[in-house]
Amino acid sequence: MRAKLAGVFWVAVTLSFFAGAGLLRAQEQSATTISREVKDVFERAAKAVVKIHAIDPHGELCGTGFFVDPTGTLYTAYSVGGEAENFTIEVKGRKYAARQVLTDIRSGLAMLKVDLATPALPIGKSEELEVATPVVTIGYPLDLPETPNFGMIAGFDRKYLGRYFSTTHLRVNLPAQRGEAGAPLLNLKGEVVGIVVSSLENSSSCYAVPIEAAEKIRSDFVRFGEVRHGWIGANVSEAAAPVEGSRAEITEILDPTPAADSGIKPGDILLQVGKVKVHEPEDVLDASFFLTAGDVVPITVMRGNEKLTLNVQADFHPASKQPPLIASPLSPNRAIPLNLQSAPERTP
Amino acid sequence: MDEFEDQEIAKLLRLKRYEQPPPGYFENFLHEFHRRQRDELLRQPVWRICLDRAHDFIFRLNLPTLTSYPVAAAAVLICAAVISLQIYQTPEPARFTRDRPALGGFSAAGSADAEWTLASPVATRVFGTQPLRKSNESAYTHRAATPPRYVLDSVPVSYETTFKF
Repeated sequence: MRAKLAGVFWVAVTLSFFAGAGLLRAQEQSATTISREVKDVFERAAKAVVKIHAIDPHGELCGTGFFVDPTGTLYTAYSVGGEAENFTIEVKGRKYAARQVLTDIRSGLAMLKVDLATPALPIGKSEELEVATPVVTIGYPLDLPETPNFGMIAGFDRKYLGRYFSTTHLRVNLPAQRGEAGAPLLNLKGEVVGIVVSSLENSSSCYAVPIEAAEKIRSDFVRFGEVRHGWIGANVSEAAAPVEGSRAEITEILDPTPAADSGIKPGDILLQVGKVKVHEPEDVLDASFFLTAGDVVPITVMRGNEKLTLNVQADFHPASKQPPLIASPLSPNRAIPLNLQSAPERTP
Repeated sequence: MDEFEDQEIAKLLRLKRYEQPPPGYFENFLHEFHRRQRDELLRQPVWRICLDRAHDFIFRLNLPTLTSYPVAAAAVLICAAVISLQIYQTPEPARFTRDRPALGGFSAAGSADAEWTLASPVATRVFGTQPLRKSNESAYTHRAATPPRYVLDSVPVSYETTFKF
């Protein structure tokens, strides 16, 4: 009996030894795999990431940007490309003149253009990201060369330090340094899922705007030559009790606005705006951001026990009432205000 | 003739075979050599002796090699000092504020002082209608004096006031 027990004991010890060794080996392989994937992403994507030099009234500034199409269109942060001029981009030690094509302070992004055939990063989907999804950025910190950074998605925030964002921002546990504003946030497939716009405390993490926000303003620019943020004209607050899973109650209809014309009434519970399902008032931020002025959007509300879907044509958002900026052919490095009176007729 | 000379030489050799230097000759040889050398030297004038000694001294020290490095370093330092003096000359006082004529009844120099307010702990500056310097000029100055500003905001610029949509 004692001999049997001893045998079982030694077998257990041997098995646990091999199991431990196997686990250690698996961990080593896992670390090697991640390192290889990050290196692979860096090697593929770095050639499309550039350093941006510009001049604003405070002096010379440097940031990061990246190409999104082969004709030299590049995205960067508003703080880099929004209010500066005399842009040059630096690629492999060579500098090329760039011009400002579009700026949008509501999203915090800017679009520049270089007259070159360029490599471009593939566009991914930030909707597929989850908390703890690994991501990589490539930026130009300070006066250093292109630098990869590895981290993970830490959260999806609509509010920071008491301020609401225009659209959900990606909070990333990844140390961003000065000079990396406008750097691409990449998934491990090498697709862009966001654009770094700011750091958090101690530069230990950062905020990135989802790539869908940048694609929205680019889409507007391609369609209309300007950014057209949409607007319905309704105010939303938290309802006392959820209805059909939503706590977003319409409390005010501004007049004259598309909401007043469409028949939406105070007291309606908002269920869906376009493709965005609404569960709480904060969901309205994303729904609103992706509206385009002139587009007709279906809005589903609950009025009493009746579910209604109303088609509403969005108007211009009050924040974009000021003339949008377009590239100037006379001054290629500087955008000029677009005179809406002379703009072509808006298409619905 | 040759035979005669050979005989003479042989005779002389026989006579000299038994000649010996006086006692103490080899002991005093070195001393005597130095004495005669000094006597020979003293026949030259003093200035010639000094010149020869100086010449020997210079050759012994290999003076050209020793002086080339300090001289080269001193030349570089002098050149650097001259160039830096030319670059960092005291600039002329900036005249773009004082020399600007009054625009619409206000003086640019006066307004520059008046534009600073104590209303907020954060210095708030109301920019005049005319820039004191063009942005290009400003940037040129900054480029020469300060490094570029590496951009990364501490807060995203995106901002929404209410849940209006």
